[in-house]
Amino acid sequence: MNSEQGNPPIADSKPALESSELDRRALIIGSSLAAAGLIGYPLVRQILRERASVFIARNQRYQGSLVQTIRDGLVATGLAPSGLQGKRVLLKPNLVEPTRAAPHMTTHPAVIQAVAEVFRTWGAEVLVGEGPGHLRDTEMALIESGVQEALDSDGLTFADLNYEEVAWVENAGRASKLSGFYFPRSVIEADLVVSLPKMKTHHWVGVTASLKNMYGVIPGIKYGWPKNVLHHAGIPHTVFDINASLPKTISIVDGIECMEGDGPIMGTLKTMGLIVIGTNPTAVDATVCRLMRIKPARVSYLQRAAGRLGPIDNGLIDQHGERWEGLASPFAILDEPHLQGLREGVLVS
Amino acid sequence: MDWHEDNLQQLAAHPCCGYDCDRSASEPTALTALALIAGGRRDEAREATDWLASLQDENGAIGVRRDEPTPRWPTSLAVLAWLKSAAQPEMNGLYRSSVERGLAWILSQRGKTRSRTKAASHDPTLVAWPWVEGTHSWIEPTALHVLALKMAGYTAHPRVREAVRMLIDRQIPSGGCNYGNTTILGQQLRPHLQPTGVALLALAGESYRHGRIQRSVGYLQDNVSRDTSTVSLCWALLGLSAHGRATPAAEDWLRARYRSGGMKGLSPLKRALIALAVQGAEILLPSPVRA
Repeated sequence: MNSEQGNPPIADSKPALESSELDRRALIIGSSLAAAGLIGYPLVRQILRERASVFIARNQRYQGSLVQTIRDGLVATGLAPSGLQGKRVLLKPNLVEPTRAAPHMTTHPAVIQAVAEVFRTWGAEVLVGEGPGHLRDTEMALIESGVQEALDSDGLTFADLNYEEVAWVENAGRASKLSGFYFPRSVIEADLVVSLPKMKTHHWVGVTASLKNMYGVIPGIKYGWPKNVLHHAGIPHTVFDINASLPKTISIVDGIECMEGDGPIMGTLKTMGLIVIGTNPTAVDATVCRLMRIKPARVSYLQRAAGRLGPIDNGLIDQHGERWEGLASPFAILDEPHLQGLREGVLVS
Repeated sequence: MDWHEDNLQQLAAHPCCGYDCDRSASEPTALTALALIAGGRRDEAREATDWLASLQDENGAIGVRRDEPTPRWPTSLAVLAWLKSAAQPEMNGLYRSSVERGLAWILSQRGKTRSRTKAASHDPTLVAWPWVEGTHSWIEPTALHVLALKMAGYTAHPRVREAVRMLIDRQIPSGGCNYGNTTILGQQLRPHLQPTGVALLALAGESYRHGRIQRSVGYLQDNVSRDTSTVSLCWALLGLSAHGRATPAAEDWLRARYRSGGMKGLSPLKRALIALAVQGAEILLPSPVRA
């Protein structure tokens, strides 16, 4: 069944990756990113101390000064613009099942355009890529989401990750039984992948943001529509594993018009006016949870990622821009047994 | 239709093709073969059907690309292309072994089932076909395998009858279907044109007393338009054609989509689907041929 609309996730099991291996992995990731010039050495030191920075901007609008916001946020959280000259940057929006009837389901085209402009200004070669999880017709996804118009307007190239040629990558997380993943060529060849999720509730796993968005790099031609192989291997496990196998990822969350209730597809609009940015997607997602008044440690894949892919403890996340405490607003969550406990208090249905 | 002949000419020039301008893949190649056969270009189609036969594994299945033997969902499309190719009088007996082994593989596959739950309204106990072995059954692989089996004369086979029940069960009550869920956690989901069109092809000739098939036909009629994206437009028109519903503007829409490719040109997959949609659903529907 389908992560978005199918079976609930199966019960967690202890991840196979030991902390010493993960510490070594964090060192390798941090060192390699620094060597590539993509992040500054202060950030490497943060990663090694298992700290991360997250930037929040409020009062954001799709017609507003998103370029400035995104530039400020990336710099504040440790991205080094000088290291991006000539680098291949893949922008990965969430276009899981676009429809004009629910624009709050998918990453807004204005966010994609603004992020592309920032990276282009810094000399990067920008590509937009997505493998919609529920639609075989990617052209339809681009039209319905308004992204095709944005691509045409800005001369951006799009990679259909569902059908691209693939390469096998070993599963660096090993939380699931999957020994590896087929990643599309554009993902393999990218120097940096930028997760551009929508801030949404998820009716099986609670929250979908930076980490869950990376399901969209998995090619449908190999995993199906929906990507049912991943569901059978465990949603929290594979969210962790995919992100563990994709080390070069940062995150910029479209939290302007969000989705609450029966997300990630059928939920209702909740306007927050936020952009959330960070070079550690786990820390970004933990902050997104707090903004939604959901406890990060109760989201199964974040629990698994904590201390391995990044910090979720508020004390380990340095806040830049606005502080989340003054902006948090409870997102409605379905009154379903498997969602009980995402936060303390009464669930809203 | 000069543009249609131009399209066929382009397909004939490169019958073994990929999703874009990349390595040849089974799905676009099989659809190109079917489009060429429908357009009377049997010799050019032969290159595609031979290529598909060269990909066939010992177990009878066809992978998504050469050197990518899994997953094997394109097997149904290859069987369809071989059957239509073999249906030509001068090619009697051709691909007989390929078809037999392909059908045997299809019949050996079963989507995973599970017990009914309150979370989903559809019947997950029905056995049909998955995209990938070891996973659940979904609309499009099931519909394509049903088409192949029906074309081979297996309309009355118990697996086909159960799969038809699954396809009807997965139609959204108000009409149309998506990848294969109807109502989840009490919320009815949205239908989409492509899976509805593919499902209705497989449901051609079937009847169901509660009108679910007709409501899905109605969904396509109400929602397909000049602005529909190419792949969805083509499958929707094929689905309507399979149920005898003419779309007067279809040729204009398809011509517009064909010309929308501009200097870069359309992908081979889109060209093949446009050529199929122009010629109607007949090429994809059951015939008396048995391998």
